[in-house]
Amino acid sequence: MKRDMKAWKEDLIKAKAKCALPILSFPCVQLMGVSVEQLSRDPALQARGMQLVAERTPACAAVSMMDLSVEAEAFGATARFMPGEVPTVKDPIVQTPEEADALKVPQVGAGRTGKYVEAIRQACGLINDRPVLAGVIGPFSLAGRLMGVSDIMISCYDEPEAVHTVLKKATDFLADYVLAYRGAGAHGVVIAEPLAGLLSPGLAEEFSEPYVKRMSGAARSDEFLVIYHNCGNNTPLMLDSILRTNCDGYHFGDAVAIAGLVGRVPEDKLVMGNISPSSQFLGGTPEGIREATLGQLGACSPGHPNYIISSGCDIPPMSPWENIDAFFAAVQEYYTGV
Amino acid sequence: MHPILNDISTNLQAGKAKIVRELVQQALDSGVPVKEILDEGLLSGMNIVGKKFKNNEVFVPEVLVAARAMNQGVQVLKPHLVDANVKPIGKVCIGTVQGDLHDIGKNLVKMMMEGKGIEVVDLGTDVQPATFVDTAREQGCRIICLSALLTTTMGMMTEVVQAAREAGIRDQVKIMVGGAPVTDAFCQQIGADAYTPDAASAAEKAVEFLTGEPA
Repeated sequence: MKRDMKAWKEDLIKAKAKCALPILSFPCVQLMGVSVEQLSRDPALQARGMQLVAERTPACAAVSMMDLSVEAEAFGATARFMPGEVPTVKDPIVQTPEEADALKVPQVGAGRTGKYVEAIRQACGLINDRPVLAGVIGPFSLAGRLMGVSDIMISCYDEPEAVHTVLKKATDFLADYVLAYRGAGAHGVVIAEPLAGLLSPGLAEEFSEPYVKRMSGAARSDEFLVIYHNCGNNTPLMLDSILRTNCDGYHFGDAVAIAGLVGRVPEDKLVMGNISPSSQFLGGTPEGIREATLGQLGACSPGHPNYIISSGCDIPPMSPWENIDAFFAAVQEYYTGV
Repeated sequence: MHPILNDISTNLQAGKAKIVRELVQQALDSGVPVKEILDEGLLSGMNIVGKKFKNNEVFVPEVLVAARAMNQGVQVLKPHLVDANVKPIGKVCIGTVQGDLHDIGKNLVKMMMEGKGIEVVDLGTDVQPATFVDTAREQGCRIICLSALLTTTMGMMTEVVQAAREAGIRDQVKIMVGGAPVTDAFCQQIGADAYTPDAASAAEKAVEFLTGEPA
């Protein structure tokens, strides 16, 4: 079902009582009694998981699994599955400029990417009361998985051309991947670019901004929103560059004080974050997360109608549901009093 | 201070590994004492990088290239360190705990510690608890440093503390923990000795443990 996502965003900004938009999907494994690995290999399970989360929570939108190993796996990297944890990429596959040149851009559908697109197609059929958002990795973060995190950082200085070569190929694939999600019925996409948050502002401007901007430009429409996520600790210093990616919304992690960022994001763009996924959702208590949520809303919401409370990153699979429920209850409590 | 030491420090901070290597050789050829080259050229430069990193004035890539420059300089010095009786201030072992393949945080801590004159045994990623304990015992490491990025692998830090207890070395080693999901409360809960929120603070804490004095 197509939606006017431009109007959806405007309505969200105008609304006095707002919903929350946490990156919440993987904890569905607890509701379904399946493993993270089973989930990440099965589109029907993913769609059903998103449906169960939507039925249980009043989240603004349903968000797909943030599995940031999928895209690197499509390029030929090996994903490693650990019980109860989101898959990670094992070893880099590009270590020289020659390997960067030789790297082949896969077709969408390679590895598990076809399963993830299919999951969105099925989820869109199951969830009708809110938008369905897909998740993809950002270009620098994908290049980092392909080249190795430490190596790509050094290569930004030593072999910038090789980094740009990999980034161009990563973006070619990611732009197609996002369009495949759009074609499958998604109403938007969250682009996760956490690795760029470790760069200096200058390097982020060169090695992340133009590529994210290209992805955003290729996919955005009145019926498809692009949301940028970066949970690095340098985002306040690189915010101008991040905003130039021209996305519809910006989502920040708990490594930064988001109260200092909300006023810097244009009023027609969503700004989201950043209750800690690890210390609050996973390791916290219902009382603690209530306090953190009310505090965050009190600090960020007044005067900033484009602020939407969220988790700081994706919520870990085994986060207790009593904490997740307490988060939503606190959001409702706050806006009932507004 | 010999002016070349300042040049070494400046070029190290800029990550110019080849120039640092050449300057260290020049300093040796000019008769500058090995310890001065190490302390006032290489380690001094890396200390400045560490402080700037802590203050968000430089970032991960700059730290990585500076550390690489320092290592290049140390390689030139290495054959002369023993003759000059220059010793590290202590030895630590470091690794990312079992089940976790992330290494950027661990690498940064290692580099910052080496920049403080600490000898670091890098055990890599996905390290079993017994490996930490065996390495500490066999190589005389006075600190075990544990890194984890995943919420599910943090729990392995508890296993390392327990393994150190069972091996009877808990009172001989300090155990430091760090990584994105790790907190001070978690450190206390599992009975580790120190949590630090960033690489520079970790290096300072290690110096404090090894020397009994603040870094």
